[in-house]
Amino acid sequence: MRSIFHVDMDAFFVSVEELYDPSLIGKPVVVGGASDQRGVVSAASYAARKFGVHSAMPLRTAYQLCPQAIFVEGHPERYRKYSNLVKEVLQQFTPLVEMASIDEAYLDMTGTERLHGPPLLAAHKLHNAIKAATALNNSIGAGTSRLLAKVCSDQAKPHGIVWIPPGAEAAFLAPLDVRKIPGVGKVTEQKLHRLGIRQVGDMAALEPKFLAEHFGQWGLALGGKSKGLDSGGWFQGEIGEEQDPKSISHEHTFSVDTADADALEAALAHLSEKVGRRLREHGLWARTIQLKLRYTDFSTFTRALTLGHATQIDTEIFQTARDLLRKNRRAGSPIRLLGVQTSGFSHEAGQLDLLDGAQHERMGKALNAMDKLRDKYGEMSVSLALGMKGRFKERTHDALPNDGKPKK
Amino acid sequence: MEFTVSKADLVRELGLSQGVVEKKSTIPILSNVLLEADGDRLSLTATDLELGIRCGCAAKVKKAGSGTIPAKKLLDYVRLLPDGEISIKFADNQWASITAGRSKTRIAGMSRESYPELPEMPQVLAELPVKRLAAMITRTIFAISAEESRFTLNGALLLVKAHGLTMVSTDSHRLAMVECPMEIEGFAPDQSYRALLPRKAMSELARLAAEASDDAKLLFAGDENHLFFQIGDRLLLSRKLTGNFPDFERVLPKEHPHNVTLSRDDLKGSLERVMQFADERSRAIKVGAFPGELKLHSSLSDTGESEETLGAFYDGPSVEIGFNAAYMLDFLRASNEDNVQFLFKDSASAGELRPVSDGTLNYRYIVMPMRI
Repeated sequence: MRSIFHVDMDAFFVSVEELYDPSLIGKPVVVGGASDQRGVVSAASYAARKFGVHSAMPLRTAYQLCPQAIFVEGHPERYRKYSNLVKEVLQQFTPLVEMASIDEAYLDMTGTERLHGPPLLAAHKLHNAIKAATALNNSIGAGTSRLLAKVCSDQAKPHGIVWIPPGAEAAFLAPLDVRKIPGVGKVTEQKLHRLGIRQVGDMAALEPKFLAEHFGQWGLALGGKSKGLDSGGWFQGEIGEEQDPKSISHEHTFSVDTADADALEAALAHLSEKVGRRLREHGLWARTIQLKLRYTDFSTFTRALTLGHATQIDTEIFQTARDLLRKNRRAGSPIRLLGVQTSGFSHEAGQLDLLDGAQHERMGKALNAMDKLRDKYGEMSVSLALGMKGRFKERTHDALPNDGKPKK
Repeated sequence: MEFTVSKADLVRELGLSQGVVEKKSTIPILSNVLLEADGDRLSLTATDLELGIRCGCAAKVKKAGSGTIPAKKLLDYVRLLPDGEISIKFADNQWASITAGRSKTRIAGMSRESYPELPEMPQVLAELPVKRLAAMITRTIFAISAEESRFTLNGALLLVKAHGLTMVSTDSHRLAMVECPMEIEGFAPDQSYRALLPRKAMSELARLAAEASDDAKLLFAGDENHLFFQIGDRLLLSRKLTGNFPDFERVLPKEHPHNVTLSRDDLKGSLERVMQFADERSRAIKVGAFPGELKLHSSLSDTGESEETLGAFYDGPSVEIGFNAAYMLDFLRASNEDNVQFLFKDSASAGELRPVSDGTLNYRYIVMPMRI
């Protein structure tokens, strides 16, 4: 029988901001930027959530819902720092830790009873250890599967613990709304409602055949999930098993659309640096570089080039992306968004270069030194000269894994 | 224009134009071959504006003139005709009538007025042995970069000096260099000529050379933008690649501390087998030099692994170096000597392959290792 914990930090970004500015405590707070800025809400305090504000919502919409909220810029470096502190605590409990994002993690606690005691006791110890190390509130769900642990931590919020003993899974899940099942979004929910299925228990009682008829493979997965099993894609893979990203990318939406070549290339340089840094963090070399362009009318284009060799060098990523930009940009059309994506990863440098090899090696060493400076003094401490002009305030969701997508 | 030619002559000469005519048909007339009949000759011209070829054959010219016809369509059709005489007649509306025995065909042509004018061959710079040049092309063409963005590497450097020819190509992973010592008439001792020859021109030149006799010579010339190669009545001209070829001498290893001599066939066979278990994209294998032997090793976690051991006279330190096996095979296929030398230093430095011979060509192939 497996014992899985899901640790979820309560209103993480807001809570971290409160540590730096205690006057925010208890107030409606929106992290992400000024209320009239482009961009989305990275996090909202519980007080702001009462007004319907949630993450991934445009900042301007959040302002309309809750004009009295305090809007603050995000500080990705603060969140990374606290996320690392949390991770250190988690790793003291089990080596099998998977950070699902900056503020949540799965732990495989199977076989740790003799060390940490039964699950509920271990969860209490962990809960208190995180609070002691970071002063941050957190919620823990514990159960026999990742799905169950995730659902439990949601039920445990805020600042609580829910443990479902083996055998009680179905009884616990049955009265919950189907939307509580990870992976069930608006579309599936509506479809289920049309079939008269509102609670997880309704779904668990159905024949797998019925679900398969209406939802195909996904239906079979739903059937399993409703019984508390990790079925169907969402939770595949063992905890602690390193899974390489398929791609690494960064994007930037300009505060004012621009057609200025210098401004675009400077932004591209900055994005390339960020992508390069992430590649090096992951120990990956990329062969394919893709440029993403979005014009004022929201028409979006991507153009990619596959190199003859793999790279993790900022300048090489930049030069490739810049060539793509120069070749494919409609001159004079203002651009709203630029993005740089890399893919085609390998774990080794692979083919060395005859002509530029020595230069690549020097550049690689310089970049490693820059990374160390950034680790110590922050992301803005050092940059390529061209990238400096293209700097923009780091948006909070850039700090998240999964290619900067806001948390679900 | 009206003329009669033999089918064999026309098929042969049209065949030469096929590698040159534009295939994308962005400019429709470039898919056509220009036919010019005058005196007792038919001249054929094809070009894609980068590369051009002019050739011809004997013809009975009834009425001199010129016109253009889709090159591929014409060849595909003429090939199917029985051997014998073929008569071609152009009407004023640019349609061409082709008559052979009991076959009659009309093909829509285009006026020669819109066909581009090819540059004239300027003063001859040098007379070069055709087969020698072809051998140099075979030994370098495969190392030309396929990355279009690296346009200075999309061809080979041709260096003509008073005491010999040099051809160099690189894709920045490996570099092939072949020198052919020979006295070039009319070149002063310190005189040299340097040009970047596009890959397509090289392959067409090799094709023309294949038909030439062993001791045939070609006339070589160049103007500001073009290179000219004339073999007998056939003229190949190519736009030069612009830009600076990298300073290849800088990356040529001065010396290698270690080397082994191997049978080319043995090494080739072993590499081909080991490569079956190398990653399909990177072709990465390990080449290990150990006392008395050279080992080739590959492994793919899901598929399997393979190892080959080749006896070799080697008493240096044990060294293991990652290489792209396909790069090594390229050299072994282009070289035709019985034995080759593998020269190396360590897993981070360029390795080198050379044929062991007293041949007329001095051939070096530099390959950068892989980190695997």
